[in-house]
Amino acid sequence: MGGKVTCTLGEVKNRADFIVFWGGNPAECHPRHFTKYSLMPKGKHVPNGRKDRTVVLVDIRETKSVKAADIFLQVRPGKDFEVLTILRALIKDQAVDPRQVAETGLTLEQLTDLVARMKRAKFGVMFFGMGLSMTRGKHMNSAALLTLAAEMNAFTKFVAMPMRGHGNVTGADVVMRWQTGYPFGINFSRGYPRYNPGEFSTVDLLVRGDADAALILGADPGATMPQPAIDHLARIPTIVLDPKVTHTSRLARVHITTAVTGISAPGTGYRMDEVPIPLRPALKSPYPTDEEVIRRIHEAVCAKPDWIHANGQYTTNQV
Amino acid sequence: MKFLLNPSRTAKQGAQINVGKDDEEYRRIVTTLTVSAADMALLGIAEGDWVLVRNEFGEARFRCEKGKVPDGMLFVPYGPPTCRLMGGSTDGTGMPTSKGWEVEVEPAEPEAS
Repeated sequence: MGGKVTCTLGEVKNRADFIVFWGGNPAECHPRHFTKYSLMPKGKHVPNGRKDRTVVLVDIRETKSVKAADIFLQVRPGKDFEVLTILRALIKDQAVDPRQVAETGLTLEQLTDLVARMKRAKFGVMFFGMGLSMTRGKHMNSAALLTLAAEMNAFTKFVAMPMRGHGNVTGADVVMRWQTGYPFGINFSRGYPRYNPGEFSTVDLLVRGDADAALILGADPGATMPQPAIDHLARIPTIVLDPKVTHTSRLARVHITTAVTGISAPGTGYRMDEVPIPLRPALKSPYPTDEEVIRRIHEAVCAKPDWIHANGQYTTNQV
Repeated sequence: MKFLLNPSRTAKQGAQINVGKDDEEYRRIVTTLTVSAADMALLGIAEGDWVLVRNEFGEARFRCEKGKVPDGMLFVPYGPPTCRLMGGSTDGTGMPTSKGWEVEVEPAEPEAS
């Protein structure tokens, strides 16, 4: 079974009575999530707000989010996939090996109690964070959780949603998806989109040294990517568009200061549930918007003559 | 001594990113390593002491603070020091492994500012 069974945050607010946070720490990373959507608000089918909800936190340590949870399950690092697979077996009343349960740091009683509560729920939601998706197992961990959520629909309504961070990362994925069919790791060099994470994704391109120029928009890879990728950005001509001077600006050949989207530039931001929100600027900025700078670069590239290779092949500017 | 290092996000770090990364406060946040009391005793260090964290990809220095974390595990907000410890391989997924790194830790001199 594949795919993501999901919903909007509005549905979470109005319907969800069983909330699981897996490998995420919303008290620190999404401080408005509890109060606006997932825990506190009174909804149409959860009129008493927090009192109508059961909250479970799954993590490798006691984070600040533990205080907000009814149940805390402390899983051993790197054992999320095993726990999810055991849960998938338990919901179908299949036998599980107690030794495998013991390896996860949890007990069979804890997991059977969780399954019973999940089945009793009217509308369950599993939010998952980087503690699940960026540890060993990565996308397989996410796939296991999404499959568990999908399979729970044989018993009750259940959905899953990633706890996205950093402004508009969801917007980048959504727009790339409707434009090309793929969310990231896309190569346009043949004039049509090709998708292959691990080959065309940014970190891999930079670490292998494949890219000979970089345009960085709305990101600071100089403070977030692995050092070999940062070292390559410093070797090649890198252009940064950012309202602030960042670590990437310092290694770039060109930094263009732009207006802050949502504060002094209009635009559209996508919430983590992929709902687009129009952003209306409250202030004016002396700097151009990202869109304006990209449009002017685009026009300048279009004005250039076609590129002709020494072997006679040529590439028109396909932008 | 071997540990499992888990870089993570904090509210203070998130707020400081929007203030600016040139700030001394940002540098302080991303070099503060949370260690359990038992592990501090094992390492023979006190709160505020510096340690050198090393793995197969690189090394970085961090200032230790005592915290309620499981023994054998270290936590630090993401930032330039954690970049130096992050491997470039993405296992074909596009994303490098960003948590759960096996590291060696030893007491060290403070990092020059």
